[in-house]
Amino acid sequence: MKKLILIITLLTLIVLPVLAKRGNKVTIAGSTTVLPIAQATAEIFMNNNPEINISVRGGGSSVGIAAIMAGTVDIGNASRHIKAKELASAREQGINPHENVVANDGIVIVIHKDNNVKDLTLEQVKDIYTGKISNWKEVGGPSMPIVVISRDVSSGTFEVFNKIVLNNAKCIGGALMLASNNAVVSTIATTPGTIGYAGLGYVNETVNAVKIDRIMPSKKTIRNGSYPIARTLHMYTNGAPKGLVKKYIDFILSAEGQKIVEEQGFISVK
Amino acid sequence: MKKVLLIVILTVVAFGILNAETKLKMELWNRWTYQTIDGEVTKNEMALKRGYLRLEPKFGNNIKGRFNVDFFSDEDGLDGAGLKIKYAYLDFSNMLPIKDSKITVGLMKTYFGTIYDWSYQTIDKDPSDKYKFVSSTDYGFGITGYLPNGFGSYALAAYNGEGYKKTAGDINKDMNFVGNIRVTPIPGITVGGSYMMKTKNDSEIDDGTGTIIDNPDREEYAMIAGVGKFAFGPFSLLGQYLQKVTSTPNDAGVEDETETVLSVMPIFKVNDKFELLARYDINDPNTNDDDDKETTIIAGFNYHIMRDAKNAPKLFVQTNYQMTQFEDDSNDESEILVQLRWIFSETLNKGK
Repeated sequence: MKKLILIITLLTLIVLPVLAKRGNKVTIAGSTTVLPIAQATAEIFMNNNPEINISVRGGGSSVGIAAIMAGTVDIGNASRHIKAKELASAREQGINPHENVVANDGIVIVIHKDNNVKDLTLEQVKDIYTGKISNWKEVGGPSMPIVVISRDVSSGTFEVFNKIVLNNAKCIGGALMLASNNAVVSTIATTPGTIGYAGLGYVNETVNAVKIDRIMPSKKTIRNGSYPIARTLHMYTNGAPKGLVKKYIDFILSAEGQKIVEEQGFISVK
Repeated sequence: MKKVLLIVILTVVAFGILNAETKLKMELWNRWTYQTIDGEVTKNEMALKRGYLRLEPKFGNNIKGRFNVDFFSDEDGLDGAGLKIKYAYLDFSNMLPIKDSKITVGLMKTYFGTIYDWSYQTIDKDPSDKYKFVSSTDYGFGITGYLPNGFGSYALAAYNGEGYKKTAGDINKDMNFVGNIRVTPIPGITVGGSYMMKTKNDSEIDDGTGTIIDNPDREEYAMIAGVGKFAFGPFSLLGQYLQKVTSTPNDAGVEDETETVLSVMPIFKVNDKFELLARYDINDPNTNDDDDKETTIIAGFNYHIMRDAKNAPKLFVQTNYQMTQFEDDSNDESEILVQLRWIFSETLNKGK
C-alpha cells in the first residue's frame, strides 16, 4: 500500500506540471526594443481574441533568447540575431530556434536645424562619438564645438549604434546620455551644435537628418538594406510557429499588425 | 616560461578590470557528505567543497579574458583553506578568416569529452575528470569555433599536459595535443568525439658516460572520448565512452594498458524548479585484469530555488545518493550528498 501511494505521488509530481502547462496562453520575453511592438500587437490581438491571454515582459535580447532555450516562454524577442554559441547550445538541448522577422528598424543621425552639414561617413560619426573630431568645421560645417548626445547604455538603440557605428569603441566621456528617442530629438531641436541618434519613427521636422555614406535614411533604404545603421527585429520560437503562437505572429505580419509596427516608430517588413 | 605567461595574463586581466567592462561572478558549494563503507560511518562532514571567483574582462569587440580562482575548505585530506588558479586565458575573436572562431591562449579549458562544458548536474565530477583521464584546465593555446547554422562546435589545442595544479618543477617537456568535434545534425541529437595524444618524459638518465640526459623512452597515452546526447522535451540522456591506452617502454619493448569508462546519465526535468537524475558509470582501469572494475550508481534530484533573468541557476539544492561497487574484495561505498550551490554575478563598467 505504501509503495502504491509513493508511486502515485511521484507520478502526480511528474505528470501534473506537464499537463498543467500552457492552455490558451502565450508568453513572451526579451528585447526592450521589440517590447512596444509586442505590447501593442498583443493588446489588439487579445481584444480580437478574448479567449487568448498573452503575457509580455522585457529583459533584453539575451534574456529572450535564453528563455526560448530554456523553454520557459513561447516567444523570445531579440533586436539582434542569435549568436553561434547560443544556436549550437540550443540545438544540443533539443531546441530549434526559429527566427521570425517582425519589423525593421533604422537609426538616424540627427543634428540641429541650423547646421548645414548634410552628409557624414560612418567613420566620421564614429570619430565624433569617440572624440577624434570635436568641431563641426572638420566635417564641412560651421566652426563650433560638437555637443555629443547618446542614449543610455541599457537601451537597444544604444546597443545597435554601439555595434554598427562605434564597433564597441568607447563613447566620449562628456557625451550627454539621454533616456529616450524623444528626449534626444527634443534636446537637439533646442541646442545648436548637437548631434544625436534616434529611431526613424521619432525623427521629425524640428531636426535635420544626415545622410550616412551618401544614403538618406528612409523606409525604403532601411528596408532594402542600403542604409548602414539598420537592423531587423525578431521574435524567436522553438521551431516554426504553431497553434496560438502562429496565429499571433501571423497577426503581427498581417497588414493590421504591420500598421501597428509603424505606429510604434518602426518600419514594416512588407 | 609558464610563470612569465601567467604573470603577463594576470597583469593584463588586472588592468582590464579597471578599464573595461568586466563580469564578476562568484559561486559557492556548501556540501554535507555522509559516507558509509560496509555499514561503518566513514564520513559525516560539512565543507565548502568548492567556491570560485571569476572575472571576465572585455577589452573590446574581439578580446575577452577569463580569470578564475578556485577555493575550498579541504582537498584530498589536507586541512585548511586552499586556493588554485583555474582559468587565466584570453580569447581573440575574428583573428582568423573562419567565421565564429577564436584563438585562446593561457590557462584554458581542456576540450576533451564533456569536461569543458560539464555543469555538475550530478554532484560528482565529469567522468574524464573523475577517472583522471585529463585535467579540466591546462596551460596552452588553441582554436575553437562553431560550425555554421548551429550544427556543432570544434576545438584544436596544444597543452603542457600537466593540468592546472602543476606549475612548478618537474613539468613534462612534451606537449599534449587534442582535437574535439561535436555535431548536432538535428536538434536534440548530438554526437561527438575527442582524441588526445600525449607523450610524457620528465625523467633523466645517465647516458653511460656519466652525462645526464633526457630519457628518450617516452610514456605515450592515446585517449579517445565518444559522446552521445539525446534531448527531447523534459528528458535528456548523455552517454560517454572513454578509452585511454598507456604505452610504457620497458626492457621487453612496450607494454600497453587500456582503461575504459562507460557513463550514462538520464535527466528528467519535471518543471522549471525540479529535475530528477541518475547516472551509471563503469570504470575498468585495466581491461586485461579481471578484478579491478568499479561501478558507480547515482540517483538524485536538483531543486532550483532561484534563477536569474536568463534562467541560469542562482540558488539550488542538489541531493545525490551514490553507491560504488568494486569487482575485487573491497567493500561497497555508499554516500549521501546534499549540496547547496549559490551563484551571483554582476557586470562592472557596463558599456564602458
